[in-house]
Amino acid sequence: MKKFTNLLAKEIRELITFQLLISLVFMVILFYFIGQMAKSEVKRAMRKQKIAVLNFDSSPFSQELIQNLRAGNFEPVPLQAENKEDAIEQTNNSKMNLLLVIPEGFGQGIENLELKPLETYTYLRSLTLMANRNAAVFNAVLRVINNYLSNDYLAKKIPDLDPNKIKNPIKSRNFVLVKERMAEGSAEQITGFITSQSMFVPIILMMIIIYSSQMVISAIAMEKQNKTLETLLTVPIRRTSIVTAKMLGSAVVGLISAIIYMVGFRYYMAGFIGDVSAAIKSSNLGEIIKSLGLSLSPNQYLILGLSLFLAILCGLAMATILGVLAEDYRSAQSLIMPLVFLVLIPYFLSFFADFNSMSVPAKLLVYLIPFSHPFLASQNLLLGNYGSVLGGIAYMLVFFAVLIVVAARIFSTDKVLTMKLRFRRKQVVL
Amino acid sequence: MEAILQVKGLRKFYGKLEALQGIDFEVRKGEIFALIGPNGAGKTTTLRVIATLLSPSDGEVRFNGFDLKKNPEKFRERISYLPEEAGAYRNLKGLDYLKFMARFYANSRQEVETFIQRAVSIADLGERIKEKIGTYSKGMVRKLLLGRALMTSPQLAILDEPTSGLDVINALEVREIIKKFAAGGLSVLLSSHNMLEIEFLSHRVALINKGQILDAGSPEELKAKYQASNLEEVFRRALR
Repeated sequence: MKKFTNLLAKEIRELITFQLLISLVFMVILFYFIGQMAKSEVKRAMRKQKIAVLNFDSSPFSQELIQNLRAGNFEPVPLQAENKEDAIEQTNNSKMNLLLVIPEGFGQGIENLELKPLETYTYLRSLTLMANRNAAVFNAVLRVINNYLSNDYLAKKIPDLDPNKIKNPIKSRNFVLVKERMAEGSAEQITGFITSQSMFVPIILMMIIIYSSQMVISAIAMEKQNKTLETLLTVPIRRTSIVTAKMLGSAVVGLISAIIYMVGFRYYMAGFIGDVSAAIKSSNLGEIIKSLGLSLSPNQYLILGLSLFLAILCGLAMATILGVLAEDYRSAQSLIMPLVFLVLIPYFLSFFADFNSMSVPAKLLVYLIPFSHPFLASQNLLLGNYGSVLGGIAYMLVFFAVLIVVAARIFSTDKVLTMKLRFRRKQVVL
Repeated sequence: MEAILQVKGLRKFYGKLEALQGIDFEVRKGEIFALIGPNGAGKTTTLRVIATLLSPSDGEVRFNGFDLKKNPEKFRERISYLPEEAGAYRNLKGLDYLKFMARFYANSRQEVETFIQRAVSIADLGERIKEKIGTYSKGMVRKLLLGRALMTSPQLAILDEPTSGLDVINALEVREIIKKFAAGGLSVLLSSHNMLEIEFLSHRVALINKGQILDAGSPEELKAKYQASNLEEVFRRALR
């Protein structure tokens, strides 16, 4: 055991280099700044926005419209212009992005049901997500006003009837069922929330697997390139200990790196999506999710953790075998690609595809990739599909055992030194 | 003198290529035994097999009575191998590297310290031993590795081209170190292209070519047998 810990400590020390620490710190700082910038952009977009208004109408309707814009977080700026062209120019000169033109007879038109359209002019001064927000908010304000005016009109025409009954004759109440539990709410809203809450799981998993695998593959390749492997293989320690120490060392460093990476990533995402817990507090979504049992219990977290851990081990075992095939550090970087693809396939599928609606061969193919199982585990656990999760764990366990036997076998034979994947002619040192 | 290593009929195949074609020799206690031959003769393969890096295709290798195929771990406990062009972990300091290697062989902290002191004395790198190996010159790395190979006082030190790539001064120092340790009862099995070096160091020599031992004996015996003034001539005449 002493020899193993000696080897493990060396592996970790070798992997935690100054360059690694610098790159991790740099990454966190970078993510933090990007997140902060995004946050300030969002804040800026949420501030009261100026809207230029050219009003050719003097009816109470147009005044009411302008008042409603104030309620919609706009600051109407009345323009003194003879025509639209002048108004457009004035809007541009005063760096405002939105111009509203209320035509003459707008109010009269509403009363006579001879509608005169409002005109809006939006300056696209950048192509960011936030650039178009003003126009969207403006349209939302118009929708509210339209609803209000139509209700008002109907109430005047048919005083004894609720206008909503005419406009929306069909009412609905939505219920969501999960296994035997039921709650009133929208399925879309719930799945949206669950997705936003669990979106970090596949990212973390992908990061850890790729990070750790790259480390183990590079560690073995570097041992070969620096000619330290030969010495290591002649010291009195079991070959399986050498393999295990390399894998464990990489897993530890990979895990630490991924955690640091995710701290940075969280800053980054917070800038865009804001504080999710604040959002849930402002709605009754939390109650619905609770009553549907769609939050993980400590035991379910444990199962999810086990699934993640086994996927990492599978990745490390595969990387160990690939590392033996590498001739040097550079070739190791190419050899990591098949493993990266195997991680990326379930990663992207978890975002864009529904595993349950896939064809049987496609489903089988996905299940054969060990990394698919932890990607599926969180939603299966939430939905109570324990069979799939435990089956995945069993599969990964077998997969890992087979790989570890293969890796240990390779390290116990000449193959650790003679096995190479290269396209040049093979040379043997005699 | 008692033989501690016996090699009989050793054969090694790389696919269809027969790198060793039935090699026989023995290394006695306290002697420096050298394998000399051109590139591709099978020197490194022979040393790698004895160092338990490669498995023999056929034949027998016995060390202190232990069979290589059955007890490779017994070999690893008692031998020390210095590969040609071996490197050390660039991110570790010289002293940390020695400590890391010593811990595989030592049974106590005290023994670890003894091994380290011995290696530091052999490597003779002064204060640089506390610096990262990545900052060392090739000669310094080689001396550090030689210190590592000899610090445990192994029963057999296997040194593949121990002075490979070293300048004259460093090569001389390394030769002196090897000679000094053999004088203390250590057996050494080494390989080299440098016939003059072998003549200076070795008690006995085996001439190897195309995976076969052509002849073996002390440098004086071989020179007398082939009526040659040095081992280079011996080798040339043995090839005819």
